[in-house]
Amino acid sequence: MENRRIGGHYSHRYDAELEEVVNRVLAMGGLVESQLSNALQAFIDGDSPVAQEVTENDTRVNTFEVTIDERCVEILARRQPAAMDLRLIVAVIKTITDLERIGDLAASIARMALRQAQGDRPRKQTFRDIETMGNRVIKMLGDALDAFARMDAAAAVTVVRQDFAIDSDHEAIMRQNVTYMMEDPRNISRMLDVTHATRALERVGDHARNMCEYTIYLVKGRDVRHIDLSEMEAIVEEKAGQGTEGTDL
Amino acid sequence: MSQRNPAATSLNASLFEGTSRQVRSLADEKIAITVEGLDLYYGDDQALKGISMKIPERRVTAFIGPSGCGKSTLLRCFNRMNDLVDSCRIEGAINLHGDNIYGRGTDVAELRRRVGMVFQKPNPFPKSIYENVAYGLRLQGVKNKRLLDEVVERSIKAVGLWDEVKDRLQSNAFGLSGGQQQRLVIARAIAIEPEVILLDEPTSALDPISTAKIEELMEELKEKYTILIVTHNMQQAARVSDYTAYMYLGELIEYADTMHLFTNPGQKATEDYITGRYG
Amino acid sequence: MREWWKSGSPWIWLNGGAVTISMIMVFGLLLLILVRGFGNFWPHAILETTYTHPDADTPVRVIGELRRSETLTAQSMRDAGVDIPGDQLLIERHLIKMGNRDVTNQDFGYFIDGFMDDWRYPEDIGVLERREWGDFMGYPLRLLEEGSTVAVGDELWPEFQRRLERSNNLYDEIRGIERGAIGRINFAIERVRLDERKAELRGALTDERRAELEQRREELQAEYRVLEEQLNRLYEAAARDGIVMRVADGQEVTIRLADIVKAWQPNNMSVLEKIGFYAKDFFDFIFGYPREANTEGGIFPAIFGTVVMVLVMSIIVTPFGILAAIYLREYARQGPILKTVRISVYNLAGVPSIVFGVFGLGFFVYFLGGAIDRTFYPEALPAPTFGTPGLFWASLTLALLTLPVVIVSTEEGLARIPSTIREGSLALGATKGETLWKVVVPLATPAMMTGLILAIARAAGEVAPLMLVGVVKLAPTLPVDGNFPFIHLERKIMHLGFHIYDVGFQSPHAEAAEQLVYATALILVLLIVVLNLTAITIRNHLREKYRAESD
Repeated sequence: MENRRIGGHYSHRYDAELEEVVNRVLAMGGLVESQLSNALQAFIDGDSPVAQEVTENDTRVNTFEVTIDERCVEILARRQPAAMDLRLIVAVIKTITDLERIGDLAASIARMALRQAQGDRPRKQTFRDIETMGNRVIKMLGDALDAFARMDAAAAVTVVRQDFAIDSDHEAIMRQNVTYMMEDPRNISRMLDVTHATRALERVGDHARNMCEYTIYLVKGRDVRHIDLSEMEAIVEEKAGQGTEGTDL
Repeated sequence: MSQRNPAATSLNASLFEGTSRQVRSLADEKIAITVEGLDLYYGDDQALKGISMKIPERRVTAFIGPSGCGKSTLLRCFNRMNDLVDSCRIEGAINLHGDNIYGRGTDVAELRRRVGMVFQKPNPFPKSIYENVAYGLRLQGVKNKRLLDEVVERSIKAVGLWDEVKDRLQSNAFGLSGGQQQRLVIARAIAIEPEVILLDEPTSALDPISTAKIEELMEELKEKYTILIVTHNMQQAARVSDYTAYMYLGELIEYADTMHLFTNPGQKATEDYITGRYG
Repeated sequence: MREWWKSGSPWIWLNGGAVTISMIMVFGLLLLILVRGFGNFWPHAILETTYTHPDADTPVRVIGELRRSETLTAQSMRDAGVDIPGDQLLIERHLIKMGNRDVTNQDFGYFIDGFMDDWRYPEDIGVLERREWGDFMGYPLRLLEEGSTVAVGDELWPEFQRRLERSNNLYDEIRGIERGAIGRINFAIERVRLDERKAELRGALTDERRAELEQRREELQAEYRVLEEQLNRLYEAAARDGIVMRVADGQEVTIRLADIVKAWQPNNMSVLEKIGFYAKDFFDFIFGYPREANTEGGIFPAIFGTVVMVLVMSIIVTPFGILAAIYLREYARQGPILKTVRISVYNLAGVPSIVFGVFGLGFFVYFLGGAIDRTFYPEALPAPTFGTPGLFWASLTLALLTLPVVIVSTEEGLARIPSTIREGSLALGATKGETLWKVVVPLATPAMMTGLILAIARAAGEVAPLMLVGVVKLAPTLPVDGNFPFIHLERKIMHLGFHIYDVGFQSPHAEAAEQLVYATALILVLLIVVLNLTAITIRNHLREKYRAESD
């Protein structure tokens, strides 16, 4: 990958080091994405071998996190990065934490799939809703990783917006689940798993949103956590360097 | 009994929750020096191009930029050291607390007493440690031995050199190590109580420990003095300064709060320079 | 071979060779001067021999000191009209110092080896160093007091030495009075004369004043008469003793002890005695006054004159050179004019020294000196005071000669001082002048001392210009004495370099003078070494004091 924002140092080794970190993050993202989609698939189809595989793969995700962290610390110690480079390292350290959480959530969905495979299957309608929501979440995660890979703040903002749809899906499924549980108390334990899985997907959305916020920080140098979307959009549309030129002071 | 101390609460809040550090703004600072449209020529070459900036009082302002960008030249404008160069011509104004130092009636010697300077290489005089520090006062005609003793001791203490040299004040200053010499030179500069201290790459000839001591010293000195530092070491600028100016080819490219400049510079050129990229 | 060439060894050998040759030449020179110079004071053995010249029938007896031997072709001697037997190709001949210049009219002679007989070193031969006529060699016979014999045989020599000591003490006393008291009175009488003349020129010579001066003069004359009487008594006392000596041809000669400086029997001396004698002789050479047209006695006035002249020169040249260099380096506007000035100053160093001598004579002595005489010493005219060559003009001429050296070194020294030191001082609010005097000049002092060292080395060895502006063969008085104003800048001086020239080339007794030339040269070299070492020590001390990391 040749990234305009990463390359261009006088030290080519430095370029290579930063690129390696970014590539590893993307590789980790790819793994987490497939973990999530496999887990979801297993949950919906009740496919226990796939679910088994997902739970086993979770250690790979953890290894990714540890090695990327190591690389980042090394770059901090050796290169004392500044500006863009510094923000990249900070964003990476935070992004991989979120990715690892997503990996954990995928693993927990897979574990629920394993439990589901042994007992009765819930209704088709429930799975359809979860599948819709799951696809949304997977797409959001993919887009978030994409925005990070392209270091595109505008794309990141649009990804953040997807979170609203996921949140409303989540609410809808929760309401439905509550209805099912009230209809027939025997469904309760089964539906609790579904609730947990839905909850996990919603959390994945939140983590993807965090990742987008880091991408915006990386590109814009502004902290956009805990502010509302319109402000975020305003920041992203702001022209770079405004108000910091010497003559203006 | 159940009533909690509101002060303690707010203290706790500020310690543990804190507020996001606001980017420092020059609008909130007292201004010590104002540079207005400064152009400097060496013969036909223009070394500084339309520099305008406000330098805050009792803060450390760092100047960074590649070699030949004019940062040292600019620094030397503040105590008119460029006057020593025959072919040098200056246009524009620099106001030091309201006095234009390039104004007609400026007494250069008096100006240099107000604006002290420390150079890249430690340059103690071929005199005793004591006489080095007393030099500036003696120039002003101070003869009172008690006063001299007092100022010498205070100045050397201020730079944290007292314990190292108190037993050999009369020995030659060349006997000190490079780092000690540099601190001695700073003591010499602050002995005459300047308003501003200019540091021209003060640690480039020193080892890391001496460098750390000087940086620590700057932290203390900014309580009393306005400090301007030129440095090639960007990490040093990042560590010690409150404001940083990036210069390139005689122009002031960016001048901002140091934290801001080093995490999120406004100009591509600045970003390229501080991250070590070719523009 | 090519390997060797490429390795760079030839280059190293070439350099090493150049150094070696230089060292050999320098040490050869020093060794020659040392051996010949120090050899002068050794009491050499005296030989006695019978010599029959090939052309003469009667043998003559020769007493003398072997100076050197040389080998010649027999033919060259035959060509010179000496009858050498036909079978000889090479002959050796000896140069023998026989002394007794007043008796034989010939104190040196060449004698051909092979015609000499009965070569021996009799123990009782005595050598007398006399105040006039050079050395005397012969057998001591009798010691006389008022014409009657007081000692012969074994007692003679010890008694002679005792009486010689007495006579030398008397002589010292006489010289003391002549140089000291009488010199002072003469000086005072001259002052009285000058005062009178001065008053006359001003028209202030009243009768009263005249009487006063006359009275003063009378007093001095009376004082002088007392001393004169005392001197006469001393002369009489000194004339009491005499010694009868037998020379080589058997003639008996009587010599007054008052005429003898010292006496020794070289063939009768142990090595230890010889060393003691040697040391004393060396001491006398350095601290004695010259005699016999400089060919005998000591060279003290020359040493003293050289040192005083160099010191006065240093006092003149140092401030001038340093101030000029500071102006050129620090204040003058750098440009074509300054460049011209600098080139001119540097080239001044290349002007032949005799040209400086001519300039000194024409400008300093006649023009400046004449003007000074007319203005300040009109009473002495027509006798010139400063309008004649003298110490001051000699020093001034040398100062001019060495000025470029001082200027160049000082400028170099100033240029070497790092600009950061100046800036450090300026940045503390010092003016340019304050920076110069408090920081820059102290740092440049070692360089200034270097300049002075070079100047001293050059000045002490300079002869040619000095002959024109103040150095003479024999100066009657030293330039420093006890009479006010103690340092007499107008007096003529003696100088070692000129002394060498004078003794070596202007002396009537060339053979006798040869060793003296070496000895004087040795002293000159030693003097320059001492002067330089002093200056170098001071410089190193300064360097230590102002040691910068850059040094």
